[in-house]
Amino acid sequence: MEEVDRILIHSLRQTGTEIGEDVESVKQFSSELIVEAVVRCLRVIDPPLGNGLPPSLPPGMSARFRLGMSLAQACQDLGYKGEIGYQTFLYSSKSALLQQAIAAQIKAQLALPWVPPACRLPLLCQTQSAGVSDAFRSLALSLPPTQGLGKPPVKEVADYCRDFLPPVTAQPSQHASVPASLLERHALELSAAQEWENEWNSQGLLTRLSPEVPPDLTPLNKPIWTHGTPRSRKGWARLRKRIEEQLRSASQARPSAQHAPRTGPDPDLTQLLQAFGGATPGGDVLAKGTRFTHTEKFTFTQEPEPSGQQMAVASVMPSSRQSEEALLAQQQDELQALQQQLQQLALRTEGVCGDIKQLTVSITQVSDEVKRRELGNSEKEDSVRVKKQTIDLLPDAENNLAKLQTLVESSAKRVVSLASQWEKHRAPLIEEHRRLKELCSNRELQSSRKLSEIKDLHDKIRQSADEAKKKEGLHKQLVTEFENLPKDVSRSAYTQRILEIVGNIRKQKEEITKILSDTKELQKEINSLTGKLDRTFAVTDELVFKDAKRDESVRKSYKYLAALHENCTQLIQTIEDTGTIMREIRDLEEQIETENGKKTVSNLEKILEDYKAIRQENSALAAKIREA
Amino acid sequence: MIKLLEKLPPTECPKFLHRVVDGVCGRDPPRLGDYGNTWSLTEWMELLDGLSSFFRFTVGRKCSEEEVQVSLVDLSGGHLEAVLACLKARGEELRQALVERTNAVSSAQLQDFDWQIKLALSSDKISSLQMALLSLSLDVKQGGVLKPLSLELDRHELQTLITSLEAANKVVLQLK
Repeated sequence: MEEVDRILIHSLRQTGTEIGEDVESVKQFSSELIVEAVVRCLRVIDPPLGNGLPPSLPPGMSARFRLGMSLAQACQDLGYKGEIGYQTFLYSSKSALLQQAIAAQIKAQLALPWVPPACRLPLLCQTQSAGVSDAFRSLALSLPPTQGLGKPPVKEVADYCRDFLPPVTAQPSQHASVPASLLERHALELSAAQEWENEWNSQGLLTRLSPEVPPDLTPLNKPIWTHGTPRSRKGWARLRKRIEEQLRSASQARPSAQHAPRTGPDPDLTQLLQAFGGATPGGDVLAKGTRFTHTEKFTFTQEPEPSGQQMAVASVMPSSRQSEEALLAQQQDELQALQQQLQQLALRTEGVCGDIKQLTVSITQVSDEVKRRELGNSEKEDSVRVKKQTIDLLPDAENNLAKLQTLVESSAKRVVSLASQWEKHRAPLIEEHRRLKELCSNRELQSSRKLSEIKDLHDKIRQSADEAKKKEGLHKQLVTEFENLPKDVSRSAYTQRILEIVGNIRKQKEEITKILSDTKELQKEINSLTGKLDRTFAVTDELVFKDAKRDESVRKSYKYLAALHENCTQLIQTIEDTGTIMREIRDLEEQIETENGKKTVSNLEKILEDYKAIRQENSALAAKIREA
Repeated sequence: MIKLLEKLPPTECPKFLHRVVDGVCGRDPPRLGDYGNTWSLTEWMELLDGLSSFFRFTVGRKCSEEEVQVSLVDLSGGHLEAVLACLKARGEELRQALVERTNAVSSAQLQDFDWQIKLALSSDKISSLQMALLSLSLDVKQGGVLKPLSLELDRHELQTLITSLEAANKVVLQLK
């Protein structure tokens, strides 16, 4: 029984009932604990029903009674066949409670059907594993490209990254796929880098990879493709060759197999083949191909050159050997003469350089002078022109004065109108200026706000990192604790125990059937004996009665016979009666035992107390009503 | 069709175009709700289709800037500039998306996968089973439709799956 109790307490703890560490068997349960456990079980089995019930006992006695009634009703609704009422919960006995709790637990497990993980609701996740609440869906993310060392960023790309690129967390439409996408991206970059490193390590310089920086690791969207991308030029060439071979074999195989005029796909295939063929020698269609062929050309064309030079040197060799000394002397003379010439020329150039410097200085002086003179000239010309005009105007002085005045007035008017126009233009411009200024300040405000937000976020990140560390520590501690815990509560032990119990029960049943058959035999014997007795008595009675009329002594013996028969039947009757009374006594004793086991006395005391409490409540309520 | 773009002021053009490119790259395309005042539904569909196919065409054919300008000759200056800038900024990303599309021409393609390991303690017949099971969920794209597949494998089945996948990988490596 203790093991059963332990299993029960364990599963009750799982449903959320707070059972103290010192409670080890169901016997020790208090009424409060029982009610809480039953309500939790009900919540697991049937949430709408269970959620309507409070998990703790209310203080008022009548409220307690009502809770007990509703609990009993709920249990009967769920299919509990045994006898159950409010008393089961409030005045508990062990066996009834045990049955109740076991039935509730088994019902809870069986009421839920198994469903595939994709269809699980949060309700089902309480007892079945949670499954995948969010599917692992990844999307391609757009990230700003990592800058190479010397390369300046392209302006458009930089603009896009600054103005339009949303943060990574906002890119996928569903929030749940953010971590999935990030993980995917990371795995992609990692595999690309690994691939590159592998190739570099295994083939080294042969692959003609740039050794210093990994090729811009802009990974393609899926790892499968990245995996299959040959990074090196050699790899490309190899791949192309392979594809070409495949295509060629396919195009050859087809006509030979069909012996028919060419159908649909073949012309396309040959075209493709031609494109491939054109790419490799000519090097015009694909950029990669040209680079490859360039290097090829380079390596092949370099070789002839040195060989030509060698040939030339070889043809000169014999003739020079004949007049070697004369040639040497001649060459030295020539060398000396040339050196002298060189020195002379150097001297002359130095002289000329000095001259040039002097001349340039004087030229600048002279040009300054010329500019100054020209300026003076133009000033003088202006003054002369003004004077000449005034002299021309002198003869008709009055007319000209009037004209001048009108001219002055008109120009003043023009100035005024221009000023007004300027004002007109100026006002909107100033407005615009102000508006832009405001906008600017708004932006600044926004940016400062965002900065503070970012700082907050940083703080939060740090905090959560700390928390995560703490929780990890806790997790480790808990794991060690868990490992230290005894693991004797094993399923196989229980099943073995159950099997043993079942075997015992079977043995007992056999014994019972044996005893039953014995009793049946006994009964049969008794029946046959009584029949025999009856018949014998009837025969004797008849015989003796016949003779009784004739003989006095026989009559006496007849009387004795009758008395004997009567006494014997009485005796048998008494024996049977004792047997039944003994049985009744045993039954009653059993009943007394069971009643004693039900804590009847204490429960009765409790009931009395509760009854008093209810009466008090009732009287208090009545008093209240009277007052009101 | 792309002429319809002129209904939007040139200042808002780049944002819209970038969203369209997002759509081509497999993320969320722009929503009609945000631009409902500018275009009607049919115009919207035409414009979206036109822009998407335009982007695909220009990036797929590796058109130079002059060729793009010639093909968009009826577009006004500001809009043309916006389209060109967008094309220049997102060209590489678009190219990746197109490579991905080409890579997906085969009949079925694995999109995502996820796995869980479980320990079956007992069954309806055996009280103590203690068998590890792997529940593997695959998202397979077939003809543009995402189809979830859920498998439960025991140790041997998983081993056969892994060996066959390794053999496939070996073939891919040999091809290189």
